[in-house]
Amino acid sequence: MTRLFAAELVKLRTLRSTWGFLLVALLFGGLVAAGNIGGSSESDRLDPELQFRIVLDAAFPGSILALLLGIILVTNEFRHGTIARTLLASPRRPRFVGVKLFTGGVTGVLLMAAMIVVIAVTAVIWLGVLDVPLEAGEAADATWRALLVASLAGVLGAGIGGAVHSQVGALVGALLWMFVLEPICWVILGLLDLDGVSEYFPAAALGGTVDTSDEGLSWARSVAVALAWTGVAAVLAVLRTSRRDIT
Amino acid sequence: MIEVVGLTKRFGATLAVDDLSFSVEPGRITGFLGPNGAGKSTTMRAILGLVRPTSGGTSVLGVQYRELQEPVRRVGVLLETFDAHPGRSGRNHLRVLAVAGGIPKSRVDEVLSLVDLGAAGRRRVKGYSLGMRQRLGLAAALLGDPEVLVLDEPANGLDPQGIRWLRDFLRSLAAEGRTILISSHVLSEVAQTVDDVVIVHRGRLITHAAMSEVEAMAAASTTVRSPTADRLATLLADQGVDVATIADGRLAVVAPPERVGELAAANGIVLHELSVERASLEEVFLELTGDPGERGA
Repeated sequence: MTRLFAAELVKLRTLRSTWGFLLVALLFGGLVAAGNIGGSSESDRLDPELQFRIVLDAAFPGSILALLLGIILVTNEFRHGTIARTLLASPRRPRFVGVKLFTGGVTGVLLMAAMIVVIAVTAVIWLGVLDVPLEAGEAADATWRALLVASLAGVLGAGIGGAVHSQVGALVGALLWMFVLEPICWVILGLLDLDGVSEYFPAAALGGTVDTSDEGLSWARSVAVALAWTGVAAVLAVLRTSRRDIT
Repeated sequence: MIEVVGLTKRFGATLAVDDLSFSVEPGRITGFLGPNGAGKSTTMRAILGLVRPTSGGTSVLGVQYRELQEPVRRVGVLLETFDAHPGRSGRNHLRVLAVAGGIPKSRVDEVLSLVDLGAAGRRRVKGYSLGMRQRLGLAAALLGDPEVLVLDEPANGLDPQGIRWLRDFLRSLAAEGRTILISSHVLSEVAQTVDDVVIVHRGRLITHAAMSEVEAMAAASTTVRSPTADRLATLLADQGVDVATIADGRLAVVAPPERVGELAAANGIVLHELSVERASLEEVFLELTGDPGERGA
């Protein structure tokens, strides 16, 4: 398993697209920090809540990037025909899927960590210039929540990739679900007075893992639901990948 | 040792491999031959655990491929379809495989040099020619210094020097006791390389024999031209020899030229021509794998 994971990291390191994802993550980190600090009033900048919110605001784009990279991690193998060579080195397919899921989680954490580093550097410099005291506790609380949601999104992405195999299908399907279909379902369920049900949907559950409000599912329940969705994706990925003939 | 036992594979309504059985012995190079669409690649992929058999089974070194410990070190594979990411350099492609297989990085440069890709190793694969891609595939197959090699159409895209190098290299590997299975749809291409042949057509086994036996199938016939060809034909037929008239005064005789000449001399028949016609290996192959009209597709 260790060798296969190390091989996955070499695969990622040796492709330009990975560095493209990292660059986009860094840009998002900078934009989120600049937007939050620059767009806040002087009194808001003194509020420690701002430092918490900056990191949490990065969690959304960071987890989307983690999800997409997770999908690409798996579907690249099918798109470019490298799957045969990969399975020759790792012929037990459930193990292959397991390594991909783990890699998806780790890359999600790394992407989010890179964003948070950019945010931290920007915030330390900017707020330092404004003489605003930094609250490490607030930032740390937001950081682990952001890292958690990114890791879950990375695993979910790898699971979706393993279940769908088609890169275009998986990417378009995942984005369509998150940004179009699931919100439509929320509206419809809201009209039917079934708002509570929509909180169990994948995007809502992922959002719940960084949500600090008292509305909706509790944090623990959101994490449990998000884990359940990643589990469903993982099982589908194992089933689909195990049964597929590589021709 | 590779074993295929009663292997059948269906893709929907298409029967790709039909109750196929054969074995590949260590220390020998076995040619796996058949026309395009005969089921060679499907069989190889079933051996390698990439395709699930509908029934029957395969084994490599006594176990199913997916049960092998350290598969990269034990079985070297070249597939017909290219399997490197186009955006990765050849060297990095091999580095990925080396890390996955627990193979020292130094081996990557060794195999790149072996296949004469040392200078191009750092270039991205999408810029490689067909021959370079094939060499990279061979480098990947040899990376783990494996005891079994499964090579699907290894000569594809290689220049004559490359084919000769490959032939000599495979012979040296077989001499070390390794098990080698190579596929081709051209018998003459592998005739100088292989010890045994497994010929398949429409997924079924046609023959599994030593190459020398297949060469013997390229039976000689004799062409004879005589002003009294009809009389000679009658004499030959009386002796139970198959004879056919090719053209006026010219016969095709399934018998050695010595016998035809002696019979003609004994009966005072004048001969204007007496020559041996040997079927080519390709003709034997085509004969074994069906009628000529089917093979254009």
